[in-house]
Amino acid sequence: MKTSIFDIENWREIVATLSRNKTRTFLTAFGIFWGTAMLAMLWGGAHGFEGIMRRNFAGFTANTGAVFSGVRGISYKGFNKGSYWTLTEQDVADIRRRAPYIEYSSEINRKYVKSIYNDKSKKANALGVDPDFARIQIPVIYEGRFINDTDVRGTAKVTVIGKNLANELFGGESPLGKYVSLNGIYFKVVGVAGQKGEASIMSRVDDSFILPSVTMRNAFNRGTTVDGLMYTAPAGHKPSDNEISIRRTLSAAHYIHPDDERAVNFMDVSEMFEMIDTMFLGLSLLALFIGASSLMAGVIGVGNIMWIIVKERTHEFGIRRAIGATPADITVQVLSESVLLTLVAGVAGVCFACLVLGIADNATMSPTLGVAGFQLPFTTAAAIVVIFFILGSLAGTLPAVKAMRIKPIEAIRDK
Amino acid sequence: MIITLRDINKTYPGIVPLHVLKDINLDIAKGELVSIMGASGSGKSTLLNILGILDSYDSGEYLLDGVLIKNLSENRAAELRNRMIGFVFQSFNLISYKNALENVALPLFYQGIGRKRRNALAMEQLERMGLADRAHHLPGELSGGQKQRVAIARALVTNPSIILADEPTGALDSHTSKEVMQVFRQLNDEGMTIVIVTHDPGVGAATNRIIHITDGEITHSDD
Repeated sequence: MKTSIFDIENWREIVATLSRNKTRTFLTAFGIFWGTAMLAMLWGGAHGFEGIMRRNFAGFTANTGAVFSGVRGISYKGFNKGSYWTLTEQDVADIRRRAPYIEYSSEINRKYVKSIYNDKSKKANALGVDPDFARIQIPVIYEGRFINDTDVRGTAKVTVIGKNLANELFGGESPLGKYVSLNGIYFKVVGVAGQKGEASIMSRVDDSFILPSVTMRNAFNRGTTVDGLMYTAPAGHKPSDNEISIRRTLSAAHYIHPDDERAVNFMDVSEMFEMIDTMFLGLSLLALFIGASSLMAGVIGVGNIMWIIVKERTHEFGIRRAIGATPADITVQVLSESVLLTLVAGVAGVCFACLVLGIADNATMSPTLGVAGFQLPFTTAAAIVVIFFILGSLAGTLPAVKAMRIKPIEAIRDK
Repeated sequence: MIITLRDINKTYPGIVPLHVLKDINLDIAKGELVSIMGASGSGKSTLLNILGILDSYDSGEYLLDGVLIKNLSENRAAELRNRMIGFVFQSFNLISYKNALENVALPLFYQGIGRKRRNALAMEQLERMGLADRAHHLPGELSGGQKQRVAIARALVTNPSIILADEPTGALDSHTSKEVMQVFRQLNDEGMTIVIVTHDPGVGAATNRIIHITDGEITHSDD
């Protein structure tokens, strides 16, 4: 016999069969729908959250490290455990000279200051940095420029004002060329800047006054004291590749025991990126596991329903066999029902997941960084549909084989 | 001969094997209207199932319109059932969610005939049975007699060599039974070979030949 899956009668029969018990079909389809939606939403959601996390570090060069002074953890050469030491201008120069894998570096100093412009005042952080700060934590320049070498060499009293501070102190007025008082000292505004992501070292650029490093130390009587040194490692190296050299330099200069790890604090952004990668690989696998488990439950549900349908329709299959249906005709019919149910519910689940992910992407959209990435790539969606075709076929295989093996004479007797 | 049975035996296995058909020899000529009668458990339905290629036999030989029916694959058996045999059952065996036209057209679907043509052929048979106006009604909306006439239309739609009817009037009242038997007689008058299994003497009397079967053996044949 030659029946065709393209014959409309086939599809009318499938729809008629599935429609006869609407509640059961709906509940079975819902199992698949929800399993797919879970898989797709968790998959897209994991990538969205990864996007949000990465967005927090937007602007940061991935290979960024920093060193800060700490508290001695081992008593050494008359300095007790628990005693403080401070990083100096000389340390920065020595590190820059000796550390083997530093590409760009910048001092970073912070002071909480009171700023005044006309009748407005605001307390905020002032950050003293070198021009290469802009290569380490790439700022968004809204107006003017960033700190440059001339500013540092000439200890110019200039500042790049954070965008939020500019709005609060200057309102709609452009701050460029205007003078703002920081703890009573006037600085000329040469730029308005912000940062791309959320993460920052010491203070957010949007909420800070950026000053040339030397100017800041001189203006606020900090002498040669430096709060920290940020640096990037060149391609092929990690910031932490500099740790041994930096420790050696600082241990010699500040009477720090060579084995005292607490005394010098290091920060490595690349490790945070690695941590994010590892965390989201885990999250993706978890999403895959939970989604696949839900899906399997749905597919088992379809298989179970197909068993029941075959049992219920044994008599009908017997009639069909008596009037000319081959075992293959019956198999194709059962498989078609299973595949159609799984495919329709699965595709609906993918569509629903895309809708939810789209809403999440819109809700978490950042004006400067765009969407976080709550998305399901087309290839993944297509792969899910193909998987459904296979799973639907698998779910229907055993019931279809059972239906195929029904003897017409026994089936006709089955009432 | 359209049907030739030679020494057909059939035993259902079990703790106590049941020998249901014993050395059955039977010839049915083209254009005959034959009834097979016997008590319950006599083997008449088993015989009809073997004739309809719905069941197999253990030994002997069965020729249907010259085709040896033995050790057939499922697919070949399905093809022969579809093309050579029309079935009419006691309980009609219509598919409940298909309307009369779709039920009648179903055997043609398994021949791979397109929808328009099979519907046209099915409608011809419904018209022949006087049921054109009920073509789009579901079986649940038809009377017993109408259902059986739909079943007969379905049996006829592939233009088979023979119609096998298993207690076709068993679920009908006496008036409707007479109507259905009239249909069979009319079909027979048109040349169709019909074999009816029944335990109703009235149905047997309406056929041209009665084959009596007792405990798996053909005891005698009344012309």
